[in-house]
Amino acid sequence: MNVIETTGLTKYYGKARGVIDLDLGIQQGEVFGYLGPNGAGKTTTIRTLLDFIRPTRGQATIFGLDTRQRSREIRQRVGYLPGELALYDKMTGAEVLRYMAYLRGGVEWKHVEGLAARLSCDLSRPIRTLSHGNKQKVGLIQAFMHQPELLVLDEPTIGLDPLVQQEFYRLIAETKAEGRTVFLSSHILPEVERVCDRVGIIREGRLIAVEDVATLKARALRRLEIHFAAPVPQEAFARLEGVRDVTVDNGVMRCTIVGTVDAVIKAAAQYTVVNVISHEPSLEEIFLAYYSGGESHAAQCIP
Amino acid sequence: MLRNVFLKTLRDQRRALLWWAVGIVGLAFYLALLYPSIRDNAATYDRILKAMPETLAKTMIGDFGSYGSPEGYLNSSLFFMAAPLLFLIYAISVGSGAIAGEEEQGTLDLLLSNPLPRWRVVVEKFVALVIGTLFLALVQWLGLIVGAVAVNMQISSGRLAEINLSCALLGLAIGTLALAVGCLRGDRSLSVGVASTVGVAAYFLNSLAASVKSLEPYRKLSFFYYFIGADPLKNGLDAGHVAVLVGVTLVLLAVALVVFERRDVAV
Repeated sequence: MNVIETTGLTKYYGKARGVIDLDLGIQQGEVFGYLGPNGAGKTTTIRTLLDFIRPTRGQATIFGLDTRQRSREIRQRVGYLPGELALYDKMTGAEVLRYMAYLRGGVEWKHVEGLAARLSCDLSRPIRTLSHGNKQKVGLIQAFMHQPELLVLDEPTIGLDPLVQQEFYRLIAETKAEGRTVFLSSHILPEVERVCDRVGIIREGRLIAVEDVATLKARALRRLEIHFAAPVPQEAFARLEGVRDVTVDNGVMRCTIVGTVDAVIKAAAQYTVVNVISHEPSLEEIFLAYYSGGESHAAQCIP
Repeated sequence: MLRNVFLKTLRDQRRALLWWAVGIVGLAFYLALLYPSIRDNAATYDRILKAMPETLAKTMIGDFGSYGSPEGYLNSSLFFMAAPLLFLIYAISVGSGAIAGEEEQGTLDLLLSNPLPRWRVVVEKFVALVIGTLFLALVQWLGLIVGAVAVNMQISSGRLAEINLSCALLGLAIGTLALAVGCLRGDRSLSVGVASTVGVAAYFLNSLAASVKSLEPYRKLSFFYYFIGADPLKNGLDAGHVAVLVGVTLVLLAVALVVFERRDVAV
């Protein structure tokens, strides 16, 4: 049974598109990255799962419970970080967390203190005096403090400084090691690459791909640069299958390759090769390939 | 004070409530201290009031018999306009802040992510509104009693309690309207706008209807009529009028619960 499952989940705000026909399945114990640019529908999906907004059609379950009918039980077992986190300005971090803890029916305070220490978060200061990053830490503590079975985190690392981000990644790793599940949205690709097992890519309200991070990388476009001892003709490479954007500049051939590099290497072998430079595709490029809706177009986007 | 939504809502208001209490007691003392000079010149004041155009007098200070009597004086100078106005302002600000306020500040997401049903949040915030309003009525009552004793004003503390309770019920009805509008649409200014328009219209409808014949049949549509129409300071609370104010409040609360349960919460 999937921890989160949506079937045909669709949300329109009036006529404005939120998400369309979303079929998602998040497995127990995985870290799932929900990737897309701002406005793609990530927050809409998450807020539908928590029953803050109601689907136009389709449905969703969490722990097998319907998100419309059994939301209270679901929320008991979920830790949530809102995308645009707002906390009570006049309260201190500790007061906000105490309030949230009481509403949850009690939380072991040592967990709160442990998390605050790890994220170096000063809980004694009023929220209004905190920077965005420090507020975000209070939000994260709030999401983790009751050790929920499922964490739903909307853009969790926004505003965190790099050291705290590292600590956050460790927290995610520990959560996964304990068999708990994490669903996080992001538009920061290296982050998803780093912490997630699987990635769902959402574009203009539609889920356009769900892949293992490893598969995504394998399917990616690669940029290859071959240095030759002498100038080579462009035609030697331009017509090869899966190869595009070939430029030859004074004995340096650059191209973009989909899939295997075999054909290019074999073609290059006819000449004297000085050096081969292969660029590992970033998730950014992978994302572009999906996001721009066609591989040819994607290739043009790559400098 | 952080144990639940109800206590936390009161806690948020603790400073505001203190200042409201100071203001209300101050007004009560001021009016009490003014009373002896009015009592001593009651005949003059009544003559002046008689000379005023009837509509103006009835609209601005009401029609409560002699201005020099304790009941007439307190009704005209405090309960006819000033006190209900204060209670309306308090109740509307709290009622509109309850859901719409949190929604506009963006804290509602976090609050609702806890394992609470939505209705529970609304009910707890409503109860905080009730307690806050009753607290102010209690403060006003005590302030008036102390003031009355100080200047030897002959007035029944029981009747005073009744008019103050009536004032609180009026505030609650309009405050719950503000809460309900906030539950319908998370827009605080809309909530304040609708509730204050209804409040002010109710005031004028009730007071104008006392002298404008054509409005008389509509007087019973005014919240203010049920607040002071039966003169609780002189005659005690009218059970029917109390029932109307309480009934309207409960209906509005029910509406608030239903509409908030159904709608999408804004980011």
